[in-house]
Amino acid sequence: MPSTENNELPRGRWTSVLTDVHFWVPFAVLIGGLILLKSIH
Amino acid sequence: MQSVAAGSESAVHEKNSRLRKLQALGILSGFTAGAWLGAAEAPTKLVSAGVSPIVISLIMVIGVFLARWSLPALILGTSSIRADLRRTPHLIIWALLAGCIWAVANTMTIFAIRDIGLSIAFPLWNSNSLLGILWGFIFFNELRSAGWRRWAGVLGGALVMCAGAALLAIASSTQAPAAHSMRGVWAALGAGILWGTMYIPYRKAYLSGMNPLSFVTFFTFGELGMMAALAISYLGLAPLWQELTRARDVLFWLMLGGFVWVIGDVFQQYAAKYVGISRGIPLSNTNQFWGMLWGIFVFGELRGSGSSTYAQVIGGSLLMITGVGAIAFSSAGGTEQGQWKAAARRESRRYRIAEDYVDARMQGKQVEGEVRPPRTWLDWTLVAGSTAVFVAFAAMARAPILSFHWVPALLLVLATFALFLFCGFALWRTTRFN
Repeated sequence: MPSTENNELPRGRWTSVLTDVHFWVPFAVLIGGLILLKSIH
Repeated sequence: MQSVAAGSESAVHEKNSRLRKLQALGILSGFTAGAWLGAAEAPTKLVSAGVSPIVISLIMVIGVFLARWSLPALILGTSSIRADLRRTPHLIIWALLAGCIWAVANTMTIFAIRDIGLSIAFPLWNSNSLLGILWGFIFFNELRSAGWRRWAGVLGGALVMCAGAALLAIASSTQAPAAHSMRGVWAALGAGILWGTMYIPYRKAYLSGMNPLSFVTFFTFGELGMMAALAISYLGLAPLWQELTRARDVLFWLMLGGFVWVIGDVFQQYAAKYVGISRGIPLSNTNQFWGMLWGIFVFGELRGSGSSTYAQVIGGSLLMITGVGAIAFSSAGGTEQGQWKAAARRESRRYRIAEDYVDARMQGKQVEGEVRPPRTWLDWTLVAGSTAVFVAFAAMARAPILSFHWVPALLLVLATFALFLFCGFALWRTTRFN
């Protein structure tokens, strides 16, 4: 049975994550949320 | 030749029938999530008992943390969670990110409840569904090739929900103190944007084949880490400890609120998995309806307000529910599901995940030949430890002095548990919680 585990190199994985728009949109919204929270606190 | 064609036709029929069943299951999960998420907000009424919003959020998150490890350990087992993680290790980053977003949003909701009240704040932060539709369309091919009827259902529903939210915002200016009403509105809308975006990691995880119960266990490290950082930076360690000590009588109720929230969130995760975020979020946003029931009937919110305020709140809530209904009944057809698969293939290729694994998990199944590992001593230790913490805090707890109506509370609790049992059984029977 072929393995279904992900054995790719960590470096490739990080590159995939950091060039993925799915990462940057939530990250930017999180930063915006922290700024808003600071201003209303 | 004929028997081969008949066999193939039967397989297609079986697959379509399963997809329809999963869609129905997703819709049911969304409604059940709404009931539990609505019930979980009730303990935040303790803000009026003089406890800091940051402390309330922190304690709720501790309850959430305990629940997010003990429930998956009980239902799935930590060995299965580890197996999931080995296949999709990159999702830890998204789980942590989503957890951080949740913590910030939850803190904002507590400011919003304090400033504009539960029955007004709820519908405002539930504007997250509009954002969920947008992100679902842009990033995950939701509503692509969906046909004009489904587009009309989802977009029409979203517009009706906007009208309802606007009506409720107008009502807020008459109910809340003028000095803080705008701050409350901003806090509620901010929470909506954060929560709407939090579904990007959710959907990504489920298009990658991850089990919802595995995702939430890592998600919770982001929640607790971010919430602890917020509490320490805003209050300082010594004042935080003093506040916790002073509030020890009510800590249990807040932790219980966190626990109830997790049950709702688990159902919400299954809704996001089986009907996508563009439909799953509005469905679980029926928590607005449940929140309104808790706020008005159990806590006596809006007492003494004029009839026009009641008309605005009830009318606005009904408009939002109508919009939600329109979206719920625009479920994804075959061509749109083909687009979802294309989005899933993008994840498979980018992160090198086996396509058969993703395909099986999207159908709520395990990969052929895959055996679910048995539970270990670690699972039972997690369950026992969490239970012990809850029992210890329950022993210290006292009922807060608030205006509270027991009969409607009991009826709401019974209805919430009935949904839990019905949907939990349906999920187990159809997917074994995959």
